[in-house]
Amino acid sequence: MVTAPAAYGPAELMAVAMARLLRDGEVVFQGVNSPLPMVAIALARRLHAPHLTYVNIAGGVDPTPRYLPDSTTDAELAHGSASLFNNEDFYDLCARGGIDTAFLGAVQIDAQGRTNVSAIGDHAHPKVRLPGGGGAAMIMPTARRVILWRAQHSPRVFVERLDFVTAAGNVDRVVTPLCVFQRRAGRLQVEAVFPTSSAAEIVARTGFPLDAARPWPALAPPTPDELAALAAVDPRGVRHQEFRDG
Amino acid sequence: MAGLHGSDVPAASGLQTVRDPYSGAEVYVAPAIQPDWAVLHVHEADALGNARIYGSVFWDRLMSRAARGVILTAERIVPTAALARQPELTVIPALFVRAVVAAPGGAWPCSCAPDYTLERAGVEAYLAACADPAALAAYLDAQDRALRAAPAPASGSAAW
Repeated sequence: MVTAPAAYGPAELMAVAMARLLRDGEVVFQGVNSPLPMVAIALARRLHAPHLTYVNIAGGVDPTPRYLPDSTTDAELAHGSASLFNNEDFYDLCARGGIDTAFLGAVQIDAQGRTNVSAIGDHAHPKVRLPGGGGAAMIMPTARRVILWRAQHSPRVFVERLDFVTAAGNVDRVVTPLCVFQRRAGRLQVEAVFPTSSAAEIVARTGFPLDAARPWPALAPPTPDELAALAAVDPRGVRHQEFRDG
Repeated sequence: MAGLHGSDVPAASGLQTVRDPYSGAEVYVAPAIQPDWAVLHVHEADALGNARIYGSVFWDRLMSRAARGVILTAERIVPTAALARQPELTVIPALFVRAVVAAPGGAWPCSCAPDYTLERAGVEAYLAACADPAALAAYLDAQDRALRAAPAPASGSAAW
């Protein structure tokens, strides 16, 4: 059977997969350097989660940005917000259990869904000093649910052993350009294989062993409605930024 | 502090735990962070150091309280009476502040929303200059001359 060429690639798949994980009515946080979560939240608000409460590091609380900016700390992400959150307000809210879902990034991720954003090599004398957790060590155990994402899927990202454990806690899903992982019984397992990937590719590009039970479910491809909504919320293509930056 | 359990950060940072006398839980505690100075850029300040920040405050309010002294750089110097008309908008009271510098465009090439936004080419020029001390000195001299010649960035102007 001949099918029409797919109007989506990894950026669209990741944005759609992340948006589908968000629920209407929950409180969702997006921090610094988080273009894909920013796009996914905008998409979910437009589609199935119009009453999601969107809190971001730019201080916005349910803002109505006129466009999605390149920087996820841009003041545009507070545009239309009727109140402003200082940074300490967000950490306080998270500490008291008021954040339902937080997006956190990572340089390395292990099989337990723990992350390293601190250093490659020995922490005291690192080969590469990374930006640091920016509060991830507090957010990951206190947010009710954490979604990790990384625009690269390789054995250098998904590692058997982290060089440093920056944060551990309530990771629920990990979204990559190849698949969605779900944490079950404390270990990441493949929940959904992207239509552009395969189980063999995921195994080859993951540095820790995965559940042998196959076949893994396939991600339902993005619908025309989802792709149209994505094009509408992100006409500038911010969703591609993390792939461009390598 | 809530959280931190399961992280290598406490060991690497020397953070200790105490037993919460109410819940019995082991919780991490950090010593107070007290910088000598916080240098904060604001939209409006009076000559005494009372300051307004329009838009998101990020960590600035907290840092103004944490530091031993605050140096303000301000887009505009305004009369105290103008701030006193709506004192609830004053984020930083003068009692924390040791110096006020009139610095229109002082956040450039970063943003000072809503007055002006980040200029990517300017950030890249700064980063390129940082590679070499002589280049950085020349860059800073050029910026200083430009600011003195045309101090106030136009709102939202691409030139800034």
